[in-house]
Amino acid sequence: MIRYPSLLIVFVILFVAISLYQIKHLITKKEIELSQIKNNINDAQSDLNILNAELSYLKRPERIEKIALDKLGLKEVLPTDIWNLQDLANVTENLNNGELK
Amino acid sequence: MKFLGFFDLYLNKNNCTRARKVKLLFCSLLLVILFTVVGYRTISLASIKKDNISKIANKDIKPNTFQESLRGNIYDRNKKILATTINTLSLNINPQKILDKRITINKLLQIFPQLNEKYLLKKLNTNKKYISLLREISPREYVRLLQAGIEGLIIQKRLKRIYPNNTLASHILGGTDVDGRGIAGIEKKFNAQLQNGKNINLSIHSGIQHITKKLLSNQINKFEAEGGAGIVMNAKNGEVYSIVSLPDYNANNYNSILDRSLFNKATKGIYELGSTLKLITAAIAFESNLINEDEVFDVSKPLRVSSRVITDFHPLSYSINIPEVIVHSSNIGSAKIAEKFGPSIQLKYLRSLGLMNKLELELPELGRPQVLMDKKILTTMTISYGHGISITPMHLASVTATLVNNGIKVDPTLIIAKSKKNNQQIISQKTSTKMKSIMRLVVSNKYGTAKKAESTGYLVGGKTGTAEKINPTGGYFKNKNIVTFTGAFPMNNPEFIITIMIDDPKGQKFSNGYRTAGWVVAPVVRELVTRIAPILGIKPQLENSSKFYKNLFNYKIRGKNNGANL
Repeated sequence: MIRYPSLLIVFVILFVAISLYQIKHLITKKEIELSQIKNNINDAQSDLNILNAELSYLKRPERIEKIALDKLGLKEVLPTDIWNLQDLANVTENLNNGELK
Repeated sequence: MKFLGFFDLYLNKNNCTRARKVKLLFCSLLLVILFTVVGYRTISLASIKKDNISKIANKDIKPNTFQESLRGNIYDRNKKILATTINTLSLNINPQKILDKRITINKLLQIFPQLNEKYLLKKLNTNKKYISLLREISPREYVRLLQAGIEGLIIQKRLKRIYPNNTLASHILGGTDVDGRGIAGIEKKFNAQLQNGKNINLSIHSGIQHITKKLLSNQINKFEAEGGAGIVMNAKNGEVYSIVSLPDYNANNYNSILDRSLFNKATKGIYELGSTLKLITAAIAFESNLINEDEVFDVSKPLRVSSRVITDFHPLSYSINIPEVIVHSSNIGSAKIAEKFGPSIQLKYLRSLGLMNKLELELPELGRPQVLMDKKILTTMTISYGHGISITPMHLASVTATLVNNGIKVDPTLIIAKSKKNNQQIISQKTSTKMKSIMRLVVSNKYGTAKKAESTGYLVGGKTGTAEKINPTGGYFKNKNIVTFTGAFPMNNPEFIITIMIDDPKGQKFSNGYRTAGWVVAPVVRELVTRIAPILGIKPQLENSSKFYKNLFNYKIRGKNNGANL
């Protein structure tokens, strides 16, 4: 004869078993999702790396230098192109005092 | 409670018929539900869904997924990518799944004209289930493959390490093997971090690296030299802005290069760097207190020590003081100074300056200095002017930095913002000031050996060195030189160190046949300083400004016939 408590236990076991199966199924699903997300991140990172690498390739110093010299007609900065205001003041003062010719 | 009674097998007779009906009804319902679920699932699996079909069809052709994280990137100091990893696709095929080989070959040839028919026919006529056709295909070719509908294709994802700047800083970056493991340079040194996806930020400045390389390369070509090395480094914190070793190579082809261009002359190669070492001799002389600052040394006659005769390239007919020994680059004077302080003191300073050990630079390719340690007086004398001691150009840059950084040791580093404050005082601040003053005179004085390094306004200072090249079979090559310049700018408050070395330059018509450091290396320094100073934010200044004179001593240097004027 099967008593109510036994039946209850059978039900509980069944319920737990089904729940466990469901949880396991859910976790597997989530793991797959996570793996897909990770792969998507890697793919996106790789795409980003490609774009950055392309940018770096286009910004190669020798390329920029060639464009600056040939296309834009720029020239290298010489020391005489840059003046320190204090030095300029000193030179003017020296000139005024007749120290420099 | 009635529902629970359903499970009671000992029901009384009155309820028996009703209970059986309930049981039957329940079982039928259960079966119907179960069959509905199973049926629905069966139909859904068997039903023609667009997604399912494409999933099944693309199972082979779609690139396999991967779990590993991408190798970290290497950046320069301005966050410019020097090395990165990207996904590439490789083309493989399963010949067993091909229905018509002729059609497949035609389709493949249309997309990949570089493949030939015979090759494909041979590849496809095998019993193998996996054949590799191309290691790398472009995304456009991949799309065309999908559109062509070729059966049996297996496309796989591969990670590829790329260096967008090709040859720029190739010796620093190094390379990886086919499995993506670092096998040289920064790639090897920081392999663990890079494999975990961490990025490395180098102190290298791409622009300065390029300028150094270009100027050095031009001069190597002009003087038909074998190669060379160039270093630009922060004089205060040791951050290296550029390390050039020529000849160099394209970092993308690292695994297919097997020649001498892989050798890093700047950090691995050890050379006798000649008279540049006289700076150390002078610093020891000032520091040891064994020599009076005004003491003079007779350099009018060649110096005979044991079997060796020490001579000068520019002989003088009178006695000279320490600054003059350096400015005129007198071997005799240097040897006589070294004789005064002796081998023990010399070795003590060489050790404290780091010239006995490998550097602690973040590269696996580091050279160990070779120093003659027999403690003979002749050895001490020859080491004083750079013979009998072989070091890397990077060692020389480090020593120069220490000499001009108020005597506080400077350890070079390739990692930005890593440098620790080093408080190791090697020489006194006063000696450092004397050294800076003398180094400036080597460039600015009309008798200096590095006049061609003068870049107006940037107050360059340093020391040249011309040494005979060591013959690997013994002795020295009489007609092969290693020419070097090491120095800093601006000398009243040195911010940057420049060390340039050129290996075996040949005398040219325009150089009157000379192949000394003053002719070969000094002009590179002038151009380099002129070009990089504005990038580095160094402003030109007038030498006669009070700011300059406050920081340096003004030594009097006599010329060839001015001996009586001391």
